[in-house]
Amino acid sequence: MKKIIFIISFLSIVLLWAERIDLNSADLAELKKLPLSEKQIEDIYDYRFHIKFFESIYDLRNIKSINQRTLNRLKPLVMVSHYEEQDEAAARRDEVYYQLERLGTNEGLQEGMSDVWEDFLMSPRNVNKLSFSELISFPNVSAIDATAILKRRANGDTIANYRDLRFTPGISYYGAKNLGNFIHYQQPPISNKIFFDYQLKYEDSPYDDDQKEMYQESMLRGYEGDPPAEKDQTYWGILDMDFHRASVMHKIRMRYMNEWKAGIMFNSHKSNENISNIETEKLFDNSKFYLGYQREFEFDGRNYIKAFVGNYRATFGEGLVMENSDYFSPRKTGFGFDKRILGIIEDASRTEEYALKGFALDWKRHNMNAAFFFSKDKKDAVVYDSNNNGEIDEDDAVLSYITLTNRFSNDELMDAENYFNDYPGNNNQILIAPRIDALDEQILGGHLEYSPFIGTHLGMTGYEAIYDRDFIVPEEDELKYLLIPDIETADEKWKITDNEVNALYSTKQDTLYDRNYRRVFGFDWRTVINNTTFQGEYAEMEVDGKFQKIGDDPSALLISSYTQFENLYLLSMYRDYDLDFDNPYQRSFSESERYDDTVFEKMVYGLNNTLLNDLYLNSAQPSAERGFYFETRYQFHRMLTLTQAYLDIWERKSDARRGIRFQGKIEFKPLHQLRFRLRHKQQIKRYDDDLDRGKSQADESELKIITYLSNFDRIQLGYVYTRVWQPPYLSILSDPAQVNGPDMAQASTLTDGDMIYVDYTHNFNENLKVIGAFSFWNAYGASFWDYEDVELDFDQSDKGYKTWFNIHSRISNNLFLSLKYKYKQFKTREIEFREYNETVTAYFRNVQKSENSIRLQLDWKF
Amino acid sequence: MKYIIITIMLILTVTLNSYSILEKIEGNFVGNLDARSVAMGSASTAEAANLLAVRQNPANLSLLKGIFGTQLTGNFIFISENRTLPMYNSFDAYADDATYANNTNLFDNFAGGVFGNLRLMENKFSLAFLYHTFIDFTSNYDEEVRNNANSDYDNYPPILAKNLIEGSGSIDALSFLAAYQYDEIFSLGFKLSKLQGNSDWERKVVWSDHSLDIIPDLQDQENELERDFDGFLFQTGMNITISPRLNLGFSFSPKTELDVTGKIDTLDVAEATYLATEYYPIYNDSTNALEGYDIVDSLTYADYTIPMKIRSGINYAPRNIMRTNFALDLEYVSWSDMNPLFDDVYNFYLGVEHKLENSIPLRFGFSHQTKFAIRSDDNKNYANKIFMPTFSAGTGFSFLENFVCDISLEYTNRKYEALDLFPDSYYDYDDLWENPQYLNFSDRGWENPDMVKESLLKLKTSISYRW
Repeated sequence: MKKIIFIISFLSIVLLWAERIDLNSADLAELKKLPLSEKQIEDIYDYRFHIKFFESIYDLRNIKSINQRTLNRLKPLVMVSHYEEQDEAAARRDEVYYQLERLGTNEGLQEGMSDVWEDFLMSPRNVNKLSFSELISFPNVSAIDATAILKRRANGDTIANYRDLRFTPGISYYGAKNLGNFIHYQQPPISNKIFFDYQLKYEDSPYDDDQKEMYQESMLRGYEGDPPAEKDQTYWGILDMDFHRASVMHKIRMRYMNEWKAGIMFNSHKSNENISNIETEKLFDNSKFYLGYQREFEFDGRNYIKAFVGNYRATFGEGLVMENSDYFSPRKTGFGFDKRILGIIEDASRTEEYALKGFALDWKRHNMNAAFFFSKDKKDAVVYDSNNNGEIDEDDAVLSYITLTNRFSNDELMDAENYFNDYPGNNNQILIAPRIDALDEQILGGHLEYSPFIGTHLGMTGYEAIYDRDFIVPEEDELKYLLIPDIETADEKWKITDNEVNALYSTKQDTLYDRNYRRVFGFDWRTVINNTTFQGEYAEMEVDGKFQKIGDDPSALLISSYTQFENLYLLSMYRDYDLDFDNPYQRSFSESERYDDTVFEKMVYGLNNTLLNDLYLNSAQPSAERGFYFETRYQFHRMLTLTQAYLDIWERKSDARRGIRFQGKIEFKPLHQLRFRLRHKQQIKRYDDDLDRGKSQADESELKIITYLSNFDRIQLGYVYTRVWQPPYLSILSDPAQVNGPDMAQASTLTDGDMIYVDYTHNFNENLKVIGAFSFWNAYGASFWDYEDVELDFDQSDKGYKTWFNIHSRISNNLFLSLKYKYKQFKTREIEFREYNETVTAYFRNVQKSENSIRLQLDWKF
Repeated sequence: MKYIIITIMLILTVTLNSYSILEKIEGNFVGNLDARSVAMGSASTAEAANLLAVRQNPANLSLLKGIFGTQLTGNFIFISENRTLPMYNSFDAYADDATYANNTNLFDNFAGGVFGNLRLMENKFSLAFLYHTFIDFTSNYDEEVRNNANSDYDNYPPILAKNLIEGSGSIDALSFLAAYQYDEIFSLGFKLSKLQGNSDWERKVVWSDHSLDIIPDLQDQENELERDFDGFLFQTGMNITISPRLNLGFSFSPKTELDVTGKIDTLDVAEATYLATEYYPIYNDSTNALEGYDIVDSLTYADYTIPMKIRSGINYAPRNIMRTNFALDLEYVSWSDMNPLFDDVYNFYLGVEHKLENSIPLRFGFSHQTKFAIRSDDNKNYANKIFMPTFSAGTGFSFLENFVCDISLEYTNRKYEALDLFPDSYYDYDDLWENPQYLNFSDRGWENPDMVKESLLKLKTSISYRW
């Protein structure tokens, strides 16, 4: 009997279960069988369709029209099956959303690398197959971490999961944690799949003060009597720059797993037509694109080969010989998050001037890397009237590469120059000017690297660039008067630092050579001993035609050591770059960019052509300097961490000016939700001179209090105080190295300022985040760098405030939107200003300005 | 002949020195009037939840739910206009712009409409009537001319004259819309609008008592422009439901010319246009950028052209833990219909609606539109593009049973160059000024134009009823 009762009961349950309606799979008709009103049924269907699948029947309570009583009634009638509609890629995007969002907002130097890291986030690599150079290309993975993994594999061990990875002897916590996102252990999370990424970046922001100064300086000089007061006397006026607003970038990338890749990027500067207005034939000229193939294969061990056609990026060693990017980043160590991806990668970044276009091959083996690349591309360059025929034309020589803030067309530039030159009474005839695509550059280069044992390699890199026209740097006197046409004052305006300009590379020299190429080659090495790695690179730029002879040409050297413990690292670095080492593709560690303090920076108003200021403003090359750099991080206690401290002691080669810069950051965390961060920076620059008239000093201190609320919401309060002592216009008025100079008795000037800020991050839920901030400053001539969520802002004015907010919306699993708006109001101290039609008698002390900026980023991935 | 010369002088004064060349050409187009879609960047070609949103695409009328409905909207516009002149530093370089006049005004207008739906099997028929302001000519400008006496003793120098510009009137639209939908997949619709209205515009220089005490013979200057407009505007559209998540929308409105009558002071506008065309030396110059092509017709008052527009959009409703709508529109505007100097442009509109807690909507959007300003250099005319990035946000709530209230806030800023509205030579009386030796009473031309920066803050509130 019991048996029968049991069977009946079991069958009843099965039947009952079988009749239950599955909320996650039932169609509308099935749902209508439930004892509910039509509206309630529609609401259930809508919830599943528009919001999410049911995780349990209690999710029904999230629907407004379903109350507890209705739910109780529904309980025996419905069921919820596990239902996952998402495909593998969507699931992976969910998993790495935070990292994708962070990489997607990277700009400048990081922009091109972010694309590669994004691809690896979506299609992770097998950690049991990666080579040394591949492992150290991931962010925050050190050579010691990579060696630890390779040594473990060499012992025949396989890493099976993250726990396995973390307990690999010698690997650091942060190394393992960061690497964990980019790798898989046995099976990739996504099998065969085509990926598609579209990105739109729209940025409508005003020109910064330096850029405005360059375009707004008068190009008409040397008047007798009243000078003209017209906007059109400047590039700003003649090129209608008041009408410039937004720059827009469109980028499309496609790939099949990590094998086939293709991409195209179109970027319109603020001065250029956007994609909808540009002529079709110009569209490809102004775009970057690539097609690539990469795969692993077995041939006498594991091989990994990459081949690219179109735009690619090449980076080797410490960046002394080759790292092609338009962007400069001070103190780029190549460690931590300041990584370089070594080898060849695709390039759809906004790098334009130093983009390589052609084909490239990269072959990596367990003990050998080899890369070869060829590029042929037109480059923007500064051209001057070298044949003295009164015109800047095709027959003239080139002074330098130039990365332009605005790529006005050559016709626009020439029209403006003709307008200035022909202006009655103007004595400043333009003899030097930037030209778009003025130089045809062909580069042939390569890299070869051999690794005798794990963690150690010896490599060599070299390239030869062949040009269709000559780089010729005139003799110093000629160069001086070419750049500063006011002969009466040119001598005093030409400064000791300008021997950096003088040291530009020439392809012709009367005594030594006459050719139209530039050759740079170098050696790099690395070895890992226990928890310390030693690495470096030495490079020479051939000038005497003796390629094989080492030590006779301008050179650059960088050596460093990096020691890593669980709660401490120590980086020591020495660099020494010759003044004559003018390698346009050098992007190695340095404190300053090239042409700092030269006429290109300080003498905008005196330059024959103010656009030459771009040579400094957008210089990506490091300045010639020699110095030691130390950096460390140490966790004293779980509540107290020295998050970063560095000390840099260096000398600028051009004028032997010495600098010391220190910055330390400490975090105190008494509670998990509460953090105090203290930062102090101190920098002194001076000449080695007892009277020390050229000393400048800058201190900055910051205290930040961070409170974490529930749901990852966060409030930050901060205060910054900064002081700057500087010599009174020494650099303009006199030669600071001149003993008994005219300004000897003058004291330093002190400017100081402070800023208070608050920002708040609110997460409505995991798909919607809003960040809002407000800051107020009183600067008195000092300046601040302010980090605003995804970008940096430079505030330099008397007094001002700004407020901004940024909405991050995850519209769907594959569509992301970020919209930022900023309003800034400030006063600048402008002395000796007059109205257009007044003689110089009325002065304005302060000018109040306001600025609006909008930034939009849309990412669509599938 | 004297009559012609005087007339031409009058036209030049009025034409080139109007309140805003930009606005004179086209007035203020009153855009989208549905607060919900405004908050979503006006990207509503593929989707409409409220009646006034169907202005972008009449086919969307059939997407409205209910048998009968109505909507009313109040539109409040807060405009701040900042007019600056260029400054030069002691090295004679152009340094920046200094504000000399700042005007802030609040304007408003209203709109409303009704609709009805009828469903027969798989077919749905919809009709609607809308009434709204189409183009608004309201403007207000106030500028003081003060003596350049020293401002010691905490006093401002005395006012010499007041420069005033007042604009009023609008072109209103009464629209009839009809749409047909088949099987909730495909909709077609059209709209016919009767456009009618007027515009009064007045420009005055009023001397102060202080000035009249010094020079009793001074005469105030006054110019007037009165116009009446009449015409029809046609628009058609289509909506396709690709899936319950994805809708596509298209709309098209052809180039439309309005009949314009009126007068400039005492002269008929058509006659003024003819005279300007014939005698305005700039346009007869053989070096003209247009090589003799006459563009005066669009710079004067006898014609009014609304350019052709083609608009397409998508609306995407993904699965999201907060109910979400994403809309994106691309619009092609044939500005060359209005003036051959203008380029045709693409505008884009983008918007998102999230429902927090699946009930409170949070909407935000962005749009990028392009307009034009004409300037002259060396007797040639050019058109410069003016970009108008717009950020918008809003929310809404329902009340009673069938009522919904939506609120939106929209912020735009734009800047453009324009000539001085009241040229300096008009005040060239040495006796009026305490320090005339510091002044140069020559007029500023395009070599030293005004920089006009405008901020527009628009608040819209809509109330919808649906049954």
